[in-house]
Amino acid sequence: MIPFFVLLILGFLLGAPHAWAESLEERIKKLEETIQKQQEVLKEQQKALEDLKEQSKQAKVAEPLPAAPAPPRDYRLDDRSRGIYVPTASPLTPYSLTKQSATPGLMNPAISLILDTEYYHSSLSKAELQSRSTPGFIGPQDPPFDEGFNLRSAELAFFAPVDPYFNLYATLPVTENGVELEEAYFVTTSLPAGLQVKGGKFKSGFGRFNAFHPHAWDFVDAPIPYKLFFGGDGEGLIEKGAQLTYLPNLPIYTILGAEVLQGENDTLFGPDGGPHAYTGFVKSSLDFGANQSILFGGSVVGGKTNTTSFAPNTLFQGTSVLYGLEFTYKWKPSRWRSFVLQSEYLYRHQKGDLTDTVALTKDSLKRNQDGFYAQALFQIDRWRIGARFDRMAIFKDEVIRAGEKQNYSGQPYRWTGSLEFNPTEFSRVRLQYNYDQSDPNKLNQEIFLQFLLAVGAHGAHAY
Amino acid sequence: MIRSLILTTVCLLVWASLAAAKLDVVVTLPWIGSLASDIGRDKIKVTTLVKANQDPHYVEAKPSMILDVRRADLLLFNGLELEIGYLPVLVESSRNPKIQPGTPGSFDCSQFVEVIEKPAAVDRSMGDVHPLGNPHYHLSPRNIYRVTGGITELLAAVDPGNVGFYRANLAGWQDRFKEKEKQWAEYPLRGKKFLPYHKFFEYLAHEFGFEILGYVEPKPGIPPSAGWVEKIIELTKRVKPDAILTTSYYGTREVTFLSQKTGVKYIVVPHDVGATPACKDWFSLMDQVLAELK
Repeated sequence: MIPFFVLLILGFLLGAPHAWAESLEERIKKLEETIQKQQEVLKEQQKALEDLKEQSKQAKVAEPLPAAPAPPRDYRLDDRSRGIYVPTASPLTPYSLTKQSATPGLMNPAISLILDTEYYHSSLSKAELQSRSTPGFIGPQDPPFDEGFNLRSAELAFFAPVDPYFNLYATLPVTENGVELEEAYFVTTSLPAGLQVKGGKFKSGFGRFNAFHPHAWDFVDAPIPYKLFFGGDGEGLIEKGAQLTYLPNLPIYTILGAEVLQGENDTLFGPDGGPHAYTGFVKSSLDFGANQSILFGGSVVGGKTNTTSFAPNTLFQGTSVLYGLEFTYKWKPSRWRSFVLQSEYLYRHQKGDLTDTVALTKDSLKRNQDGFYAQALFQIDRWRIGARFDRMAIFKDEVIRAGEKQNYSGQPYRWTGSLEFNPTEFSRVRLQYNYDQSDPNKLNQEIFLQFLLAVGAHGAHAY
Repeated sequence: MIRSLILTTVCLLVWASLAAAKLDVVVTLPWIGSLASDIGRDKIKVTTLVKANQDPHYVEAKPSMILDVRRADLLLFNGLELEIGYLPVLVESSRNPKIQPGTPGSFDCSQFVEVIEKPAAVDRSMGDVHPLGNPHYHLSPRNIYRVTGGITELLAAVDPGNVGFYRANLAGWQDRFKEKEKQWAEYPLRGKKFLPYHKFFEYLAHEFGFEILGYVEPKPGIPPSAGWVEKIIELTKRVKPDAILTTSYYGTREVTFLSQKTGVKYIVVPHDVGATPACKDWFSLMDQVLAELK
């Protein structure tokens, strides 16, 4: 039928008075080719149809069933699932193995915004807070919260697959001081043998707490060992670099990882010419029945150090190694009950020279110090109560300056209690109290009322 | 020399992969595992991530699950964003190229489903609404019929050596389906009125012709407040439903209370394969669900 029609057109073209002979020949050639191709396609299609018929006979696949009786009255349901009953396994129905959803906006990255705002009260004045330090560990730091209302951040997070080989993530906390680029990294998805590469700026795989963003913390603030060993608000090791992880096919979950990092953390490393920090970690997990599981592991991070965080008017230059042990236990029998116990132990070994930048004297400095935290959270329905204990200098608090052991008073510690109400998984109201002796000379009692609200794409939750 | 070495290696690899034979099929929910087993039988090994006593909406992405997904040849899931809280992180962490989104090994069962209750507009003030439509289609025979066909074709495509085996199993499954469908049509559910705790039974209502009067939950995912419960009690007394429905993972505290206050019985409906010992596979799950509602 089609070839005949085409021939007709051909005839018309042949008879066209204004056509040039050369181009006519060309056209005829082309048309003949087209006709031939079409005939081939037709043959193929016919063959395919016959094959399909044969197949359907052989495989006895699914003749349509009598349509299910239609319900008499439809209650609050739309009408689209009525009366259509074509089994997809039928060979005549177009069928594809790929996902068919075509929701508008699917090509946009998933975006979420998380508001993190709190009311803060401290028993200390602002001046007292600013002069607080933990002698032997860290000098005075900017207090992270002001008396009264605080807006920690409105955190923008983006995620999307780049192509079949990469996923991309970016986290941009917007604060009153502007936009920060907290994380922006890619993750490979298609490497063989259980390997994965992460690159860009990201939260290091060191330790347990380190992986979480502030809005996902179990308390308003970070554990003391993180604050003292990584400085700042205790957000931990967030660095530019590259990570390689390996998930071997073992009977129990075990992940091994290594990182090369730029080493820009002010407290642990500080500026240097190039990548000068390296990490390694191994973590394992076991299940005990359907509701209980543990995760445990060890991490190490080391590199060159060049920091002014030891005390005011000092510069420390040398090397640092930080070891971490972690343990997490989870019991989660239902959506409405859970108990989580988490603890980490950190040990820092540091060696180098300490320069007094005023007196311009230089001493050798060696520090071997440790610290730990343990926390427990118990959830009943939409409520969750939490307790945390942090303590530094548990087994070791050795600061040797110019060959002399320094004596800093006390073992810094802190107690924390919290009560949360989680109306849905997208909102959280948290009341928290800290009894903070991390500066042995200045007790700080703090109260927080925190609101965490998330809108936008529903992110999946890591363990 | 090098060429023959490579050739030998390739041959060995192909042989090894053929010798490994059993397809590793990882499924999120027990009912999907049941369908896959019905078709794949001893040619596949099924691993189910979510246990029958768990609320499928709130599943913790445990590291052991990452390991399961890492070994998968195929990953079959419910779709319609039911698994959005844990599956994406499992898939990425699994480092398994075979089941990444967009690959044939990543199999969304909902692609064969006539989805109902797709909201025209949605925001979270409505509660935890599923924006792609109602994801609880596993109690819908007509949709499951199609999903099973899809699973068969998937297995056939990935394991062409056993096409005949899978298709024959499907034919057997479909015969059984037809028989069961006749039985199920006998259940006198038409015209019954139920008050479920939460959205779960809409496809069932749609196909078996019973009414859903409302929900004990004020909004999806939001537990009822005292004031709301008073309203529900009043409604229940007025419209007199045949029963209040709930599933085991929601517990019976609220519905027991409602039942006592109103004199309307409550029914704990098994929500998935394995929820009660009698629900051994998808067919017996349907049997149990319909018998409970009868």
